[in-house]
Amino acid sequence: MSSEHQQVSGNINPFNNNSFNNNNWFNNTINFNTEINTEGRQILQWLSLLEPQQRHQGVRSDRLDSIGNWVLETNEFRKWSGAEDDCVKPVLFCDGNPGVGKTYLR
Amino acid sequence: MIDSLCDQAGGGDIAVVGLYCDFLAQQEQSTTNMLGAIIKQIVSRGRIPEYIREAFKKAKKEFGGRGLRLPDLVEIMKKAVTALPRVFICVDALDESTPKPRRELLESLREIVQVSANTRLFLTGRPHVGDEIMRCFGKVARIPISPSRDDIRSYLEMRLGNDTDPEVMDVELRVDIMRMIPEKVSGM
Repeated sequence: MSSEHQQVSGNINPFNNNSFNNNNWFNNTINFNTEINTEGRQILQWLSLLEPQQRHQGVRSDRLDSIGNWVLETNEFRKWSGAEDDCVKPVLFCDGNPGVGKTYLR
Repeated sequence: MIDSLCDQAGGGDIAVVGLYCDFLAQQEQSTTNMLGAIIKQIVSRGRIPEYIREAFKKAKKEFGGRGLRLPDLVEIMKKAVTALPRVFICVDALDESTPKPRRELLESLREIVQVSANTRLFLTGRPHVGDEIMRCFGKVARIPISPSRDDIRSYLEMRLGNDTDPEVMDVELRVDIMRMIPEKVSGM
């Protein structure tokens, strides 16, 4: 219970500069807290105890949004994220040494 | 990356889910826990599917609620991803997980992408996990990440702007920082 409360307070943190625009992740978190009943919550906990959304909120608030945007412009990224299913490599791997900012790509 | 993909998806039926590996939390990051966390995000978008509710009820009866095994999770995940037009799964810092769970996670994800052409994986890690990824998936698209000079300048400006003692920074030092650090660091 307490972890879910933390999650909510993380979302409404006024110091988080990232906007609340149409973000699936954010909406998911809200649904998770308000709409899913007790059994649903038990099932989700049974599936996994990990809560990656919490780490994600931390990354979002520490991130500088303009950084790493060049990745989104690469051909590799465009092809990979595009609508076509044929002839596409389903796996995109971004590699780099520690500290180059892989986690913080927007 | 998760946020960019979410913005691109613009809501709708496209699922974007993520997982962060962390060497400080290796014990919790068993393969089943990691796959479970991915499934959890996919199915918590709406009502939890009946096949998962059934599996839960069944597990609850046996030994007072035992966990799922890896093959069960893979089967559940196949069903969960095929119900959606597009699923993006992002796994950060693969090198921070221990070798056995990492191999099992990659093999499970391979099974998923093999049956479901709508699933895309975004993986990050230090270069050395690249070999493992290639071995597992064959051909992969690869982007080597190194910060651009503009990235470093933006970051330095942000950090200097947040300086709690700006009065001790002299103008020349600031100019030197902004000139020398991007030069040295970019292409690191």
